[in-house]
Amino acid sequence: MSYERPYYNKRRNRDDFDNPRREVYETPEQKIRTAIIRLGEVDVLQEIPRVAKQIREQAEGSVPAISEGFRIGVTEEPYKIPYYAHLLRLLHDPPEGEAEASSSGGTSLGKQILEDFWKGFQAFLDKLSWRETRLCIHFFAHLTMAKVISVQSMFNLLQSFVAVLDEFGVSHGRAKRAGLCAAQGLMIAGKVLKEDSVTNVIDIINAIQIYIETTSAAKRLVQPIVHYHAESDTLENADELLETALAVLKTLNASDFAETANSYPQPYADLPGLPEGAAPFELPSVLVPPEIIELDGLAADTSEDAQVKKEEWPEYYIRLFDNEVTPDPVSPAGYAVRSALLDIVEIFEVNRKECARLLIEYPKWTLPGTFKPRPGTPAELQPEPAPGKNWQLESTLMEIVLGSLFVLPEATYKAIYYIGLITEICKLSPSTVGPAVGKSIRRLYASLADGLDVEVARRFAEWFAIHMSNFGFQWVWKEWVPDVSLTHQHPKRAFMRRAVEFEIRLAYFERIAKTLPEGLQAEGAHVLPEHAPGPDFEYDEPSNPYHNAAQSVLNLLKGRAKADDVLAHLETLKTTIGETAEGDVNVDSVIRSVAVQSLLNIGSRSFSHFLNAIERYLAVLRSLSTGGIDARTDILTAVSLFWKRNRQMISIVFDKLMQYQIVDPTDVVAWTFTNGVGNERGDTEGPSAINAHDWDLLKGALDKANGRVLVARKRVSALRKEEDDTRARVKASGGDVASMEVDAEAKPDEPPESAALTTAVKAFTSLTTQQKNALARALDGFIACLAPLSSDRRANPYAREVLTEKAWHNRANWTDDDWNAWETWGWYRHFCRAYSPYLRSYSTTLGTVSLKKFEGSTDPAALQIVKIWNVSIGEES
Amino acid sequence: MAHVVQSLDQPSNYKDSQTRVDRQKQNELLAKSSTLYVGNLSFYTTEEQIYELFTKCGSPEDGGGVKRIIMGLDRNTRTPCGFCFVEYYTHEEALASMRYISGTKLDERIIRCDLDLGYKDGRQFGRGRSGGQVRDEHRQDYDPGRGGWGAQAQRLEIERRREVEERYADANGMAAGGGGDWKEANVPVAPEATLKRGRSPEDDGSNARGGQRARVGDPDPDAERM
Repeated sequence: MSYERPYYNKRRNRDDFDNPRREVYETPEQKIRTAIIRLGEVDVLQEIPRVAKQIREQAEGSVPAISEGFRIGVTEEPYKIPYYAHLLRLLHDPPEGEAEASSSGGTSLGKQILEDFWKGFQAFLDKLSWRETRLCIHFFAHLTMAKVISVQSMFNLLQSFVAVLDEFGVSHGRAKRAGLCAAQGLMIAGKVLKEDSVTNVIDIINAIQIYIETTSAAKRLVQPIVHYHAESDTLENADELLETALAVLKTLNASDFAETANSYPQPYADLPGLPEGAAPFELPSVLVPPEIIELDGLAADTSEDAQVKKEEWPEYYIRLFDNEVTPDPVSPAGYAVRSALLDIVEIFEVNRKECARLLIEYPKWTLPGTFKPRPGTPAELQPEPAPGKNWQLESTLMEIVLGSLFVLPEATYKAIYYIGLITEICKLSPSTVGPAVGKSIRRLYASLADGLDVEVARRFAEWFAIHMSNFGFQWVWKEWVPDVSLTHQHPKRAFMRRAVEFEIRLAYFERIAKTLPEGLQAEGAHVLPEHAPGPDFEYDEPSNPYHNAAQSVLNLLKGRAKADDVLAHLETLKTTIGETAEGDVNVDSVIRSVAVQSLLNIGSRSFSHFLNAIERYLAVLRSLSTGGIDARTDILTAVSLFWKRNRQMISIVFDKLMQYQIVDPTDVVAWTFTNGVGNERGDTEGPSAINAHDWDLLKGALDKANGRVLVARKRVSALRKEEDDTRARVKASGGDVASMEVDAEAKPDEPPESAALTTAVKAFTSLTTQQKNALARALDGFIACLAPLSSDRRANPYAREVLTEKAWHNRANWTDDDWNAWETWGWYRHFCRAYSPYLRSYSTTLGTVSLKKFEGSTDPAALQIVKIWNVSIGEES
Repeated sequence: MAHVVQSLDQPSNYKDSQTRVDRQKQNELLAKSSTLYVGNLSFYTTEEQIYELFTKCGSPEDGGGVKRIIMGLDRNTRTPCGFCFVEYYTHEEALASMRYISGTKLDERIIRCDLDLGYKDGRQFGRGRSGGQVRDEHRQDYDPGRGGWGAQAQRLEIERRREVEERYADANGMAAGGGGDWKEANVPVAPEATLKRGRSPEDDGSNARGGQRARVGDPDPDAERM
């Protein structure tokens, strides 16, 4: 375990006894393991013979440690796999001075290691650790090329993974991963496999192709560039992972895998065959174990055991650069590089700094000429640029990391990981990575006008703001000044507003304002908000009819009056306002607004002040919220008015109001559709639409509802398990002869369910109801926006039109309403794919209640809504 | 996955020096802690800025999120003194912050995160002799985001300034002549009257406390060129 670098080195003397990372004595076994793991830190080809020698010297009794070293190296440093194959091949030779291996009669050391390695592979497979399994297959494939493993047994191994694609009802995630195992193994070992049997190779390729053909509907839901009118599967600027693997296999096959040698290092290629008398290793046959039993939606509505299984989708990676600049994902060499980089990004998530270093150092593991040499490399050390390669490392890294960040419906890790990783890459080489970052931003910005998915655009803005906040907010905004002539809701303008808003949240108004050129600061540019973010207490103005009422409430709150006294005062105010108000005034609404805004006012100085204020007056808030949905809508509206100059606070306050159970997630969902602030009008006029800010509120509410169910479910199962254990213990302790004879029918007295469990089950039931309501309300909300009845006062006239090809090509002339409708479609599509696992559990109920009315409809909006819905719940493929 | 590199979410040697909990118990608490200590903040960074960054590691879909933020305050002045506690609902979120946020910038300063045993009342105050954090006592550099010079250096500076001020408190506008050329003894000479005013504290340009939000306009060595 001593390979880890000692962190916090500087402080070690001071606090040494605390530090788990002290130098410890290394056993010979640990040393040999470390030597294998660190293979190639300086010059891999030079080191291999030395490490081989070291292994031989210590092999006695150390085979498990040696094979563990290989296993760690192969699965955690996949860029070294060809060299590990080389090393293991050398270990099949008889030791020096013992030329006649057969004479010693024993199995070669290499074979012993491989036998032990196989056990590790089997363990990965049993746990369905897909990445480790796949990387071991890379290793086996290289060993097959090195003539260490028998060709037939390698084919059988790949065949076991191909078989998964044929399983009945296989989930996409499982099929995708098994498919990649087979495909990548074939890419590496295809040459010898095909020499052995042409049909075997064709069979694998065909099986993958047939599987991919079943996924076209799912693909359209997660493509990062969206054209609602298009039925086409292929995109210009994005590629699906499994599909690119298939394309690569076809290319390789066409030339009998001649290109493999140009795609993967084969350091072992010149080694002779195994020594005479040694047979190649026969990989045992395997069966890919089935996934943990899925309940298949059976009564999932209420089942406590049903785990939320994130539905897995085809994986699209966005392209930002041309094939001359970054590797072409459908060329064999390009695919090899890209998939290797993706593996590094995934494996080293635990340490973004090391990950960045490994990414920058990656070229040393590739074939010479794959990447352009680093600037400043002496000419004599520069390799010949390889034709069709000679790519730019930094642009490639940006494309890979951003591609991973933009995978839909969600990336493997949190967005902030990829963002932090890019920051680290920039820090390692600012002068070369900086320009690649700039170019990536420009490409993404340009694609906003051409159908970049709304969720990708949101993540883009998020990345942009955090990245800039790590690099002094230095962005050349000037080049985007001309775009202020676009219509207000155009995605490019929306992006600028959003990016600036996010930057301000991370910094402060004046700081960001001074980074913007005049053209963007100008009034009417609407990039910068009019004012610095801040509270807006509606009743501050003495001219406001409720100014005095609000002042009296405020004084009570400031004087820390008791909640009861505040409530009593609100009652009095209700009477006075009721008596004096002119015209049609909803007194209850006024009181709610006055009280909530006053409360927010005393808590407006910081997040903590706000928490303290509402905690002190929870009783007041509870009482205000008891008037049904109207009351809760009024509360939310008051919040949105008070914080209309600070949308971050709106989502924070909504979140905490849900947390303190003043409002339900469903209330927030409903409010967002009826009063959404995102339309930047702050009122309920104009066509209904959902934009990125509304989405943030919707997401906050839906995640809250889903998270609560998850927690409640865990609690129930923990209590169940506890009681089962207790019961088992009771049974075991009373296990005398008499009780063993008890008739199966007459169960021994079981203790009744504990009160805790009963409560937990009850909580779970009511939370699932809440979850269902929130999801249903969201679905209804989207339907009302997208397929509005003509009688709807807030119907968007363009909701249907923006779907057509003709309209799309005319988007240069779109108005705000067109773009609003287009964006709302985008969020509906994202809602369906992001919450698909939850929607599936309730698909019957939700479908019946909300979508029944569209049966037989020819309304294009209705058809599109139903189509997206069906794909998301897995009923259309 | 920690054979090849060290994970960034391991507890460091950060600790609450005043805790009364034994080491084993501390380790147990850290292994499920959902609280972070966040250090090297600017005194001007707000809770909302902190919330904005740390919410990126929140997992509301797993019942998580930012639970609360406790701003570290100067014991005497009750003003932010450059640290805070961020408490999540789940341990995983705190770990994610260690991996993804610690060592990145907030408000243009590199902040550090550490798993914390959990907030207790009283811990929000600085423990330095001057009311702020101990690290700001002895700091030798000028850090405009953290009140300029370290407290000791500031105290030294104030001390020196007072000496300087006191030194001339009795200045009467009469500068000594310094002795003139050699002259014949016992010849009376009229004194030269110089009417320069005494040095007043306002003239002292080295006001240690930078203006609000003052930042060094240093060319950031990390800044990339685009």
